[in-house]
Amino acid sequence: MNSQWIDRVALRLLKRAAHRAPPFLAERLEEEWLADMSARRTSVARLRLAIGCCWAASVIAHEHGTPSVAAATARGAKTLAAYAPADSFFTRRSAAVLIILALHAVLIYLLAAGIVHRIADAPPPPLIARFTEELSPHHPPPPPAGPQLVRPTIELPVPDFPREVQAGPDTITVPDKPSSPPSRAPASITVQRVLGGPGTGFPNTADYYPAAAIRLREQGGVAVQVCIAGSGRLTSDPAIAQSSGSPRLDAGALALAKAGSGHYRPTTEDGLPVSSCFPLRIRFELRN
Amino acid sequence: MGRQDRDVRISLQTLRVLEAFLENPTDQLAGADVHKRSGLASGTLYPILLRLESAGWFVSRWEVIDPSSAGRPRRRLYRLTSSGLARASEVFASLGRGVPA
Repeated sequence: MNSQWIDRVALRLLKRAAHRAPPFLAERLEEEWLADMSARRTSVARLRLAIGCCWAASVIAHEHGTPSVAAATARGAKTLAAYAPADSFFTRRSAAVLIILALHAVLIYLLAAGIVHRIADAPPPPLIARFTEELSPHHPPPPPAGPQLVRPTIELPVPDFPREVQAGPDTITVPDKPSSPPSRAPASITVQRVLGGPGTGFPNTADYYPAAAIRLREQGGVAVQVCIAGSGRLTSDPAIAQSSGSPRLDAGALALAKAGSGHYRPTTEDGLPVSSCFPLRIRFELRN
Repeated sequence: MGRQDRDVRISLQTLRVLEAFLENPTDQLAGADVHKRSGLASGTLYPILLRLESAGWFVSRWEVIDPSSAGRPRRRLYRLTSSGLARASEVFASLGRGVPA
C-alpha cells in the first residue's frame, strides 16, 4: 500500500521534472527516465531517482539557458550542441565553491582566533553569595510622654488635742502611723531572645541566582518574611517583605527561602527554640 | 550526428562516468547501467551524460524493443564515440591514472 503511494509520488515527480527540462528534451528525458525507473527494484530507489531527476532537470535547464530559444531550434542534434559547457572559467558552480571555501576560511579563522569560543562559552561572571546581616527585631517606639502629674503637698495643721488620752475602759490607742502591710514590688521578667536565621545546610544563594538575572547583570537585596517553627521548618509560605525591584531576583529569593525549610536556625528564647517570623535578607551580587 | 568534439569540464563525477564506459568501450549503457557502475545519483548523472553527448564524446540511440511486449519503456543507450574514447584516454593519461582496465 505504501509502496504504491511512493511509486505514484515518484512517477509524478519524474514527469514534472521532465517538463521542467527544455521542451525539445522533455519527451526524450521522460521516456529515458521512466525506463531507468523501471530498472530500479524498490520503491525508495525509484523515489530517489525521481528526486534526482528533479535536480537533473533544473541543472540541464540552467546549462541550456533560455528554454524558448531552445524550443525554437528544437528536435535535432543541433540543439544538443547547445549543451556544450561554458568556456568561462568562472562558472556559477565555481562561484558557489569559492563562496563556500571563503565561509569555511572565515569560520576556521574565527575558531583559531578564539573569537567564536569566547562568544559561545562566555562564562557568566562569578558570583558572590553572602547573607547580609539580619535585620534587628522591630522595637516599638516608646510611648509618648504623658502629662507630668505633680502631687501637691498639703500641709495639715497639727491638732491640738492630745493623741493619747487616759486609758479607760472604752478607750483605744491610736498609733501614730497605721502599720501598712508590706507592699509587694512588681518583679521584672527578662527573656533573652535570639532571632533565627539561615542555619546549617541552608542552600547557597548562588544556586538560586536566576540565570536570566545573571545575563541581565541584575543585582540587589531582597527581604523575605519567613515564619519558622522551632524545628527550623517553614510554617507558612515566605513572602516578599522588601522587593529588590527585579521580579527575577524576588522569585529567586522566594525559591531560596522555600528551599531552606528545615535548615533554618529557629529563634530562641532563653535558649529554647520558639516559632517566630522574621525578615530574611538575601543579597544577589555579581562579582566583576 | 554532426556534433563537434568539444572540451568538457572534467570533474570527479565526469571521470567516474567515463570510467564506467571505459570498462568496455564498445558497451552501450543506459543511465541505469551507468548508475550501477559509477554509483552516481541521477541528479548528477544525467546532466553529465547530456553534456558529454553534446560535446561529441557520446552518441545515444533508443533501444530497439517493442515496449508493449517488453512491458517497459525503451531505454536510451549511450556509447563512446571514437573521438570520445580518444579524449577520455587522454584525460586519464594526463591524470596519471591510465585507462581503467
